[in-house]
Amino acid sequence: MAYTFRESLGLSKKKFFRAPQWELKLAVRILIGFLALYFLVAFLFLGIGLFFILRKEFPEQDPVSIINQWIIFYFGADILARYFLQNPPVTDVKTLLIQPIPKKRIIRGVLLRSLSSIFNWFSVLLLLPFCIVVSIENGATFSIWSWFFAMLLITGTNNFLVFLINKNKNVAIGVLLFLAGGYVLENYMNVPVISSIGIGFEALYIEPLWTTVILVFFLVVLQLTATFLKKELYLDKGLSKKKEKIIGSNLYFLDRWGPLGILLKNDIRLIIRNIRARQVVLTTGLFLFYGLFFFTQELYLERPAILVFAGIFITGGFTITFGQFIPAWDSEYYSMLMSQNLNYKRYLKSKLYLLMFSVVISMVLCHALLYFGKKVMVLIIGCGIFNFGLGALISLFSGAYNATPLKLNVKAKAFENTKGFNLTQFIFSIPKLVLPVLVFYIPYFFLGFNAGIVGLITSGLGGFFLEIKF
Amino acid sequence: MIKAYSLSKEYRGEKVLNLSELEIPKGELFGLIGNNGAGKTTFFSLLLDLIEATSGTIEINNIMVHQSEAWKPFISAFIDESYLIGYLTVEEYFYFLGSLRKKTQVEVDSWVKAYEPFFKGEILNQKKYLRDFSKGNQKKVGIVGALIGQPEVIVLDEPFANLDPTTQIRLKSLIKEEAMNNGTTFLISSHDLTHVTEVCDRIVLLEKGTVLKDIKKTSSTLKELEQYFSN
Repeated sequence: MAYTFRESLGLSKKKFFRAPQWELKLAVRILIGFLALYFLVAFLFLGIGLFFILRKEFPEQDPVSIINQWIIFYFGADILARYFLQNPPVTDVKTLLIQPIPKKRIIRGVLLRSLSSIFNWFSVLLLLPFCIVVSIENGATFSIWSWFFAMLLITGTNNFLVFLINKNKNVAIGVLLFLAGGYVLENYMNVPVISSIGIGFEALYIEPLWTTVILVFFLVVLQLTATFLKKELYLDKGLSKKKEKIIGSNLYFLDRWGPLGILLKNDIRLIIRNIRARQVVLTTGLFLFYGLFFFTQELYLERPAILVFAGIFITGGFTITFGQFIPAWDSEYYSMLMSQNLNYKRYLKSKLYLLMFSVVISMVLCHALLYFGKKVMVLIIGCGIFNFGLGALISLFSGAYNATPLKLNVKAKAFENTKGFNLTQFIFSIPKLVLPVLVFYIPYFFLGFNAGIVGLITSGLGGFFLEIKF
Repeated sequence: MIKAYSLSKEYRGEKVLNLSELEIPKGELFGLIGNNGAGKTTFFSLLLDLIEATSGTIEINNIMVHQSEAWKPFISAFIDESYLIGYLTVEEYFYFLGSLRKKTQVEVDSWVKAYEPFFKGEILNQKKYLRDFSKGNQKKVGIVGALIGQPEVIVLDEPFANLDPTTQIRLKSLIKEEAMNNGTTFLISSHDLTHVTEVCDRIVLLEKGTVLKDIKKTSSTLKELEQYFSN
């Protein structure tokens, strides 16, 4: 059996169509498709516009030469972005290993698929329209296209270098230091580092023969990557799981809280030891900054109802993002928990306390927003109390309708975080986000700002007493 | 200890379990055998109230499992790896289970020492998460975890599968000792006829959800069962 690139693609296709909830994923892909189209057009205009802007600003220089001076930063940023974001497509390789397929062919499949990465398209999308314009306006057709070819080769080299770097952070730091150091030396100490590299790029443009050097370099890196991958194609090497360090083993202070502390301890470990949960908490961190966007705009400061929306996000980011998956977080061992000597009510209470605890922490942290004035602060505290009493409860309740199990230690890819998203969750966003706005706005409209705050606080406390009673 | 009356479970009109009456007295070593799809795991899941019965009831210590949670202190189980918490270390997992049964960390530490021979030095103080252990070692952790706090009933689904021969032999004597010293009731399902007949005093053979044989173990039991399964 010959394992070809087409079959490799076929596997990817099946993986996509047979994934759970693929219809939803398709919808998301279409959305991404539109987004991609938008970027395509934007880059097209950028590529075309780049030439004219540069010619207008620097009439005595060739636009290509100006780009050559700075393009090293583009390629440096490219490497860094790839280092953080690009995952080599090696996941499905394991099953192929013991099939009668030559390793060479498996590696070729991996390398070819890696070329389809979005990072490679940026260069093409940006430089292709630019080069078309240059070739029309300047007329130097051959030299610009050989330059374009060289740039593509460098992009491809970057693409394969990421395999060789293999998540080695020293290389990434090195690239960063080189770029920063080069910039400082060039501009403040008159040591021509960046401009020397610029001259190198310029040579590619002036003398197309130099492109062969880049071509040789590209082929060498390609060959090195292939040999590297061949060596790594073993279960105990490149395909092995990385050994994890144990974190959060000393949470003894929670023991004082008795039975609830035990469950809280587990939840904290869940959050810090699992990729998926860590991702959610990071988003919560972003929500804290979300408020800044609203509070810096004069326009919104006069519309407190919109600020309530921001306040709910700031104080309740964790309750919303974490809470909507609440029994689902424990899905990997749910049956065990259920057959343990553990009362279900106690279990739910511990989860609720975790959410309430997070609201308190957010409220402490967002005191930094005091900078925007007392009124904003009062509003945020009001939203916090709402989330503390009622928001946490609603989030917990909404999570109960989320029956999709969750894989704890698997990264949710960007735009693929659709597992928990369904209509029910969407409907639940109404009480989570719209209800507090109404609770504030109705008294605010009739009686003024303070009445709105009282509305938030009483509904929050009401929820809290409801929770204590049951 | 455990009583099931006209217990049945249906999936889309198909009966996967149908027991008219089954009673397991305290201290019994109860073995459950049958081919795939016979209803062994369904029975355990009903017993632990993890699924709902289509009809009938099941009681532990006269408490109906689907009506109250008061049976939970009496019973513990290890069914599969989903009974482990992957992101905990072995010690943390034991402490967690211990704390649910009112055992302090010190108590758990001293208690777990008795199982060192069963672990063969591969389990404790390993500084890795449970999800990174091999299948066999995960199983050892799960089985010993089910013993924490001396529950009156312990349910083990396929405890011998995935274990190395030495551990299989040690497990057999471990079960017998627990039953003898504490009067623990064991419910064990297995595909390994030799092991299950050696350990248990009573064997129930399920087929397509019904009890086909319910026998007290004698010296001829293994022969009898082998005969049945070879047809």
